[in-house]
Formats: sequence, C-alpha cells, structure tokens
Amino acid sequence: MIESSTISQPEKAASTGSGPLLAVRDLKVHFPFRRGTFFKPERGVIRAVDGVSFDVAPGETLGLVGESGCGKSTTARAILNLVRPTSGEIHFQGDRIDGLPAPTMRPYRRDIQMIFQDPFASLNPRMTVGSIVGEPMKIFKLHEPSQIKLEVIRLLDLVGLNPRFLNRYPHEFSGGQRQRIGVARALAVQPRLIICDEPVSALDVSIQAQVINLLMDLQEKLGLAYVIIAHDLAVIRHIADRVGVMYLGRIVELAQAKDLYANPRHPYTQALLSAAPVPDPVIESTRQRTVLKGEVPSPDKSYPGCPFADRCPIAEQMCQEEVPQLEGVQHLVSCHKAESA
Amino acid sequence: MAKQKNRNKRKKKRKALQKAPSNPRSNEKVLEVEELQVQFRTDEGIVKAVGGVTFNLSKGETLGIVGESGSGKSVTSLAIMGLVPQPPGRITGGSVKYRGNELVGASNDDMTNIRGNHIAMIFQDPMTALNPFLTVEEQMTEVTRLHLNHSHEEAIDHAINMLEMVGIPSASKRVFEYPHQFSGGMRQRVMIAMALSCKPDVLIADEPSTALDVTIQAQILELMKELQKEHGTAIILITHDLGVVANICHNVLVMYAGKIVERAESNSLFANPRHPYTLGLLGSVPRWDEQERETLTAIEGQPPDLVHLGKGCSFYERCPFSEEGCKEQEPDLLPRPDGGQFACFVDIEHAQQHEVVSD
Repeated sequence: MIESSTISQPEKAASTGSGPLLAVRDLKVHFPFRRGTFFKPERGVIRAVDGVSFDVAPGETLGLVGESGCGKSTTARAILNLVRPTSGEIHFQGDRIDGLPAPTMRPYRRDIQMIFQDPFASLNPRMTVGSIVGEPMKIFKLHEPSQIKLEVIRLLDLVGLNPRFLNRYPHEFSGGQRQRIGVARALAVQPRLIICDEPVSALDVSIQAQVINLLMDLQEKLGLAYVIIAHDLAVIRHIADRVGVMYLGRIVELAQAKDLYANPRHPYTQALLSAAPVPDPVIESTRQRTVLKGEVPSPDKSYPGCPFADRCPIAEQMCQEEVPQLEGVQHLVSCHKAESA
Repeated sequence: MAKQKNRNKRKKKRKALQKAPSNPRSNEKVLEVEELQVQFRTDEGIVKAVGGVTFNLSKGETLGIVGESGSGKSVTSLAIMGLVPQPPGRITGGSVKYRGNELVGASNDDMTNIRGNHIAMIFQDPMTALNPFLTVEEQMTEVTRLHLNHSHEEAIDHAINMLEMVGIPSASKRVFEYPHQFSGGMRQRVMIAMALSCKPDVLIADEPSTALDVTIQAQILELMKELQKEHGTAIILITHDLGVVANICHNVLVMYAGKIVERAESNSLFANPRHPYTLGLLGSVPRWDEQERETLTAIEGQPPDLVHLGKGCSFYERCPFSEEGCKEQEPDLLPRPDGGQFACFVDIEHAQQHEVVSD
C-alpha cells in the first residue's frame, strides 16, 4: 500500500511518537449528477476529491493549495463530515471518524473546528458577538453559565478584539474584525485542530497580514494544528509547515513548504509558481514564465492516465495511459517524469 | 458561398488588426485628471470618497492604482467614465480631460460617444457585468454597431475576430452562447474582447484578475501586455495585488482614504517606499519566494471613516511613525528624488534608523 509505506512512516517519525493527529487515507468524494433534457438524460459523477491521503501532526500546519475546483474545500468539508465521503478513511487521534452519525461525531467536533472564508456569511447577523462565541461553550457544557461571559471576554482579548464589543452585532464590524470573531468562536471549545477554508482571501492586504499573524501567534500559544486551504501561494508559503498541491481532486505534490517552493518537482506546481507574481518589479521583469494553456478540465470525466497530461508541457505517451502515484519519502510527487523533470 | 465570403472578410479584418501600428510609450497625454473630488450622500453624512486626485496618463502607459477597499480607487475610475451613480454620488470638483476635452459635466450624448469607443472599462466580476439574458454576440455587437456604424453582419464578424484575438477557441460558435456557458476566465476574456472592440485609447481595468486563478491571471496579464504593445493602449489598472502591479505597471499611485499618498515609477516605489502606508502595504504581503519565514508587519487598526475625516493626516491613527504635528495638519505632496511624490511629514528612512539605534 502506497499510503502506509510512503505517507505514514515519515510522519510518525516526525511527530511525538503518538502518531498523527489527523490521518486521511484515499479519501474520495463523488457527487452524482443528472443533466440534459428529460428525453436525453445524461448521468455521471463529479469526482470532486479522488483519492487524497495526508497526515497532520499535532501542532503542525498543513497547507492545501490549488485552483478553484481542485477539491480542496470539499476535502475540508469531508474531514468534518459536512459532506459524506464516498470512500476512504479519516482517522482523528487513531479513531475512525468518517461517516459517523451526528451524535457519535459530536465529541470530535469539539476537537476539530472550522474557520470559513466569508466572514460576512458565516456569522449569524441576529446574534451578538457574546452569544456567537459563547454558544459552543454552552453546547459542550464547558463552563459554569456564570463563567461563560468571562471566558468569552478572555477569548475576545486573545484574538485582539476589544471586550467592550461583547454586545454588538456582526454588521457593526469590518471584515478583519469579523474574521477575528470567527477565530474566537472556533477557539471557544479548545480544539486541537482548526480547518481554515480560505481564511484571509476575503480581506484587504493589510488586514490579511493581521489575521495571518493572529493565526500563527495562536498556534504558538495553544499548540493548535491547522489545515489551511487557500489559492494564494504566498499565504500558504508563509503560514504552512508542509504543503500539498491539489489538481482535479488529487494531491499531485506534498512536501515541506520550503522544499516545495524552492524545488517544485511536479510540472503543475512549477507552472503555478511560474504564474504567481512576486511583489518586486525587478524580479518580475526578468522572470521566465511558462504560461499554461487552457483551463482546468471538468472533473466529471475519468482519466485513464495522469489528469494533468493534457495541459502538461512534458507529457509523453505513458502519461496518457497510466495513472501516476504519489511517491517519495519526504518530498512526495505524483508524476511519471518527476525524476527527469 | 456566403460563408466563404465571410471568412475571407474576417481574414482581411484580422490582418488589418495585426497591421495596426505598434506604438511605443510616448509622452502624448491621453488623460489628465485634476483635483477630482467625488462625494456620496448617505444617512450617516457625506462620504468623501475621492478627495482631490490628480494624475496624468500617457499613451502606452500602464498606471497602477493600489489601495485598500474604500480608498477611492474604483470611484475614481467610475468618475472618469461618468458612471458615478447620481444621486447619491456627485462629482464636487476637479476636472477629467480626455485629449483636451472636459468630461466632468459633459452631456450624456458626448459621454456615450466616448464611453466604450475611446475609454473602455473591464469590471472586476464578469458574471455581474455581463447581462445573463443576452448572448455574447448581442452584447458585443451593441458597441460596434453604435460606435463604428457596423452592419449586423460586420459587427458579428468583428466580435468573432475579437474573441479569437483574446484566445477563445471556436469563437464563431461560442459567440452565440450565453455568459453562463463560459467559465470565469473565459468570461473575463469576453469582457476584455468587448472593451477592446473599438480599440480604445484608454482601458480602465478594475481588478481584472482578482476573481481568477493564478494560471488564468497570468494568461490575462500577458494578453493585456500584448494588446498594449500592438495598439499603444493606455491602461489604468486598479488592484490590491502588489504582485500584479510589479508584473505589469510602469507607474503606481498609492491611494488611502480618497487621496493619493504616494506616486512613483514602479521600480523605485517598490525599492524605496517613502510613505509609511506604502511601506506597510509592502511589509504585509507574504512572498512565496521568501527563504525564511519573516513576520509580516501588519498595518494595525482599520481604515478611517470617510464621513468623519479629521483635519490631519488620514493615516495618523495607524501610522507607526506619527508625530504630534501629523494630527493637526494634512501633509502636502512632496517630491521624491525620482520625480514621484509622497505625502508625509516624517522622513521614514531616518525614523527607521533611529528606531534601530534606540532599540
């Protein structure tokens, strides 16, 4: 098994010996669809996530990066059982949690929290900040009712919001402040793992930096592990310890952030990095670009070979016929030609 | 037979497009904006969205306007196009001249003649900017039939040409499709094709690549550069992505709270920012090519409320270098050594060194 031999081992060695906090094995999420007319119906499946495996060690940040439609958000939602995986396994601290019924899943929800992309849509406009952050504590009965307010104040202070804002409503806050409320809500139940789906992409540049710094500070203080999903390569480089690059529902490359950005081995990763601009006109004017042709193909087809083969600048006959596996020890890559590339 | 004729015609047209003289950057000014002021009346009071903005745009130049949301960059571009919704908006002062012709207060007919024909715009979100009820063909031909007096057939041919030019495969079929049948990147290409149909002098692109993925963004930026090389179009690029600015812009304006706080040639602005806000912006952007993880120097606080702007510098409250005088008086634009300008009392280079010494 590729999963056990190539993914688990290095992680086990790297973590504290107690195994990974989160282990995802060959996760698949397929959405069946029906389209066309009544007389000429067309059926198929969208392979949103198509065989994803990774580990997250305690206190580690794993970044998942890729273009829209590559399945990174669906992966996140599947971990939290917000969509039901079609197949594959998800283990949290050694317990299998995929497909658990809601009541059995509940204790795990305390350990795994989520921060959403849109701070405008993810907060209930009819609840005050105090009740938004306090509600999870009530549900899990973490504190005496009299203590909850104090705890909320402590959390607001922790995420850099003035505790005087306790009785205000979300619309009275700016985007960056709302995202801080979202972070405080996630922290309310003392989770061990937070899944952040595009935590800063809706924010302005200067505010982005505030939230990124906050997330990194909190990790240091509380020993949290993160799975951070973003399309911004620079944000992921900055915040993640390890990075997985996704394309059409698969991880095509997975390595330490530093290693991956300095030495990308999958042609898709190389193309992504080549397309990402650097905020420095001197470097920009001298860079060589390999601009990829075309767009990400639709995930409703199945590919006999490498899903990237049609856009790949170095694809050969073999790439069209045989699916490459994610292989390697520290730097995993799924490409037939990775060694020669 | 007719098809063959059409195809020939199209080929000829395409040749004509390619033959367009290549215009290098020149000093020929196409757009002059002077002390432009735009205000919006709201329930809370008057919002001074743009408070006196002055800049020139030359032929073949790409000018980047950067700033946070609410800094007035989009309103500036809407004011140039005469698209500020009135009421509640109002242009309260200043002038916008296109090749010497005043656009502020110009009649609707005059603006219709200029809009789309001489000055065109690409909007951020192609899904909301394109009409979902009309086919691409109907939307694209409207401009050329109006401005270039094309017949229906000519207009369709022209639209197909334009779509081919921006790289849409099987354009002659796809031109009859609806916007929802195109992907995000393709829709943005349709917008660009539409904006370029009349070969405008000035192209205003408001966050043209923000909604797109990096690989598609790279394609769109390359396309804009190519078109500029071919037609000498002057481009105003509004964005918050400093990477995009570094990639494509010759000159940069940094806006904050409705005013220009710094302007310079792109290379020297990135190398030597003089305004604390520019410095903060550059420090708060993570870079994927960084070797070691450096802490981002976030700009603390929030952008100011444009209804209640104080008399001092609008960046005063968030500025790490602020001094007592900054609160009292608004700084004027001072010259930078490279010919640019910045609006700050504090010599931040000196202040930074001082900080290091006192630490």
